[in-house]
Amino acid sequence: MSAPVPVPAQSRQLILDRIAAATQSARKDASQLADAYRALPRAYIRRGSLSAAARVELMIERLHEYDAEVVECTPEALPAAIAAQLKASGKRTSVAPEGLPAEWLGDGFDWKIDRGLATAEIEEAEGVVTAATCGVADSGTIILHHSPAEGRRVLTLLPDWHLCILRASQVVQTLPEYFDSCRQPPSLVTTISGPSATADIEMTRIKGVHGPRFLHVILARDDIRSAANVGLRPMKRTARKE
Amino acid sequence: MSHAAYHPVLDPTLAPPFPQAALPVLRNPQLRKNVAHAIDVIQAKRAKLVAEKTDWQELRSAASAIRMHAIENLGAYLEEFEAKCTAAGGAVHWAADAAEARRIILDILRQEDASDVIKIKTMTSAEIQLNPFLQAAGVNVFETDLAEIILQLGEQEPSHIVVPALHINRSQVREIFARRMGLKDLSDDPQVLTAAARTYLRQKFLTIPTAISGANFLIAETGAVGVVESEGNGRMCLTLPRTMITLAGIEKVLPRFQDLEVTLQLLARSATGERMNPYNSIWTGVTPGDGPQSFHVVLLDNGRSSILSRPKQRQTLKCIRCAACMNACPVYRQTGGHAYGSVYPGPIGAILTPQLMQMQHAQSLPFASSLCGACYEVCPVKIDIPEVLLELRSQVVDQERKDLARFFDPMYLGLRIANLLFWRAWFFHASQFFGRIGLSFFTRRDGWIHSLPGVGGKWTQTRDLRGFPKQTFHGWWAARARQSSPASGKEAK
Amino acid sequence: MGILLGRPMRTSLFITCYNDTLFPETGKAVVVLLERLGVDVDFHPMQTCCGQMHANTGFRAEAFSQAKRLVRLYQDAETVVVPSSSCVAMMRDQYPGLIDELGNDSLRREFAAFLPRVYELSEFLIDRLGVEDVGAWFPHRVTYHASCHGVRGLHLGDRPYRLLAKVRSLQLAPLPNVDRCCGFGGTFSVKNAEVSSAMLAVKLQDVVSTGAEFCTALDNSCLMHLGGAMHRQYLGMKTIHMAQILASTEASPAEGVV
Repeated sequence: MSAPVPVPAQSRQLILDRIAAATQSARKDASQLADAYRALPRAYIRRGSLSAAARVELMIERLHEYDAEVVECTPEALPAAIAAQLKASGKRTSVAPEGLPAEWLGDGFDWKIDRGLATAEIEEAEGVVTAATCGVADSGTIILHHSPAEGRRVLTLLPDWHLCILRASQVVQTLPEYFDSCRQPPSLVTTISGPSATADIEMTRIKGVHGPRFLHVILARDDIRSAANVGLRPMKRTARKE
Repeated sequence: MSHAAYHPVLDPTLAPPFPQAALPVLRNPQLRKNVAHAIDVIQAKRAKLVAEKTDWQELRSAASAIRMHAIENLGAYLEEFEAKCTAAGGAVHWAADAAEARRIILDILRQEDASDVIKIKTMTSAEIQLNPFLQAAGVNVFETDLAEIILQLGEQEPSHIVVPALHINRSQVREIFARRMGLKDLSDDPQVLTAAARTYLRQKFLTIPTAISGANFLIAETGAVGVVESEGNGRMCLTLPRTMITLAGIEKVLPRFQDLEVTLQLLARSATGERMNPYNSIWTGVTPGDGPQSFHVVLLDNGRSSILSRPKQRQTLKCIRCAACMNACPVYRQTGGHAYGSVYPGPIGAILTPQLMQMQHAQSLPFASSLCGACYEVCPVKIDIPEVLLELRSQVVDQERKDLARFFDPMYLGLRIANLLFWRAWFFHASQFFGRIGLSFFTRRDGWIHSLPGVGGKWTQTRDLRGFPKQTFHGWWAARARQSSPASGKEAK
Repeated sequence: MGILLGRPMRTSLFITCYNDTLFPETGKAVVVLLERLGVDVDFHPMQTCCGQMHANTGFRAEAFSQAKRLVRLYQDAETVVVPSSSCVAMMRDQYPGLIDELGNDSLRREFAAFLPRVYELSEFLIDRLGVEDVGAWFPHRVTYHASCHGVRGLHLGDRPYRLLAKVRSLQLAPLPNVDRCCGFGGTFSVKNAEVSSAMLAVKLQDVVSTGAEFCTALDNSCLMHLGGAMHRQYLGMKTIHMAQILASTEASPAEGVV
């Protein structure tokens, strides 16, 4: 109980010494370590085999599974689609990241652009509109790197309603494909796979503990050439009914 | 049995041995029902998703290899993590043991003048008994996971790594919330209860500037920390406060960011039966303008390096805390987590806890298993838990060999004598003969034994035992050989 | 296979310590069955125990001495057949570590030569003899309990089912939660008797729900545990080792059954 308090640097060395003694037989230099890492078995699926269209279908299906509302549109129709979503959901006051494209900020809404908004202001907003970095179809996961168009982490945390703009070209099938697409590891990542949930009370799944309870996704079909618009499905698709 | 009457002890230095600790649970139908129900729900979901994931075994192999590689090269990766995290604005501290970790955390809180702290669930903080230490030092600790606030407000201990309050049903939760949150007319609908918790916690998130978390992963390549969650309280705690302290066991390291592509696919499916859990957060040091501007990582040894030093047992450190082993375990299914007397229950707890205690406590835990192997089958990182259990059993026995008390332990004596009897066939045959005679006193007319004294009584508590048949198999064989060729037996040389 | 060799196949029976003492009828059934299939069965009279009980309870040095003795005993056997999955699992899973750690080079060589010749009963029938239909008759409703060592240790897979499917007049009732441990676990049944009994109670519910007259398995260890409770509770069900089912014919039905 009254052992001498080790000076911080002492414990660091103590722990590293213990580790070194424990892993003696396995000690490697930097290039041996890199070689050993490269030699690790990775026989799992890296790339998916679905077509681009099927991939997007799967993403939409997964989003529906956790009751996200999904709307498709052409890239040109994006500002109109955003405005339509805001109007339909009755969201007047929305937060927008500083880097959100200006043309997405339609008239008739009270936009709070985040140039250093106070937490209280974000708390009062009804919703938030952001871009995204990637969608992983296998699990219906939306990935944010919190770039200027995606906003600070608090923006997608406090408001109860999140409208996320995802381009079809940002959708990959498998999680390894997302990691392959990162030229270098991002410093901030938030992955979203449904609204928050708990099963802590009798294993009854309840959605919406903290964070936005409502997720709407606009899927901008930049994978379909404008000449083939004729093949585009009806504009709005609601969440699948249980 | 009301929850108030039942106070399980989760401190391995104080907890009763497993067979004793299991008794109140075995006699509690409500608890057993809750545990079995929770397990069945998760198992069904998990099974469906594992069947769907055609590269599941390849993912397990990769994860096992990556985690073992990280552990075998732990020093190098920890130093890389420290350098990168520090370069990104984080402060990295090293705690050799629980006491030091507690002191480091309190010192940081004092520096920041923090009298309140919000917390994300972390087993590691329970391992070092952080909460009571901070409370005693005048810091108010607010748990923010729904299960944790149920436990904290209800003054109970967790019983499962992933679903800690699974032993508490909805009406018990309603009672706790009504009493502690001062809410009248609260129904026991889980939706309503969850909404009450959301409101109760919102104020804490928005006003308390200091948070403590654990870490699911430490990424050496970038100095990033990863937290995996479902409820969103983690995001609240690691985004809103000014100061963030992350407590992480040294074994949590992954070499590279890309390694998450393996572990994240395995973790959610194993832990909660989902393809991906709602929120994963990864952050690197301090990001100006976004989130806490003061970030500390406390790296905890507390016995892990000693586990590392034993090659057969080292695999224990591969664990990614998914609790799939618990959900598969037929022993855990009947006893729940409290019987293990540790913050780490179930199969992983049975091997991790005694090792963290340097085999000085929790010696009954390696024996709390029928060695069925279901845990190994489901472990996403392929920890051969039965192999480690056997290794630890032999260490416990080796301790006993030096203890005079062994001469009063019927199991010890019995096994030592049995070994002698197996050494020579005629010892064995003689023991069968005398054994049958001895047991004949207990053998009823139908040839069965209904009750035995001493250790044998542990069998006959609930089971009858066949009396020894008059003729052993070898006796029958010899007799048959004599019949077929009286001169020379048809026996192998 | 015997035809290919030009002589009857030979096997040496390792009966196991507990079968020798408590379940001699299982051993008799193995002998009757294998001889009926044209196998020449040996029995080494000096055999005692494989060391599983000691290994599983943490007495490694003692387990090693038994392992060493057993390996030496069967040096000249063409094959060794064992009517107990847990004992075979012991030899495959634990002997390598024990012998590596505590043995010498000569023992390691002997063990390397010994191990491929060891067969659990259903493995011997299906893999070595290449038979599924052993000419058995057992006119009863039976449920099969898949012991943990068989499922996860030996990966027996569908071998037991293939054998039971060919038994004339046998009605097989599938066991719910078939992969769940019965709670025996060797000395666990005594060291953690209450938990073992709770697991047993749950398992019995599944066994009784099949409406079977007999519960069978490839291990008398599990059956001793299940059967002991069946007898205590007057459940109207019995346990029987699969060897006895497979040995049973119209001419010579299983002992004490019909």
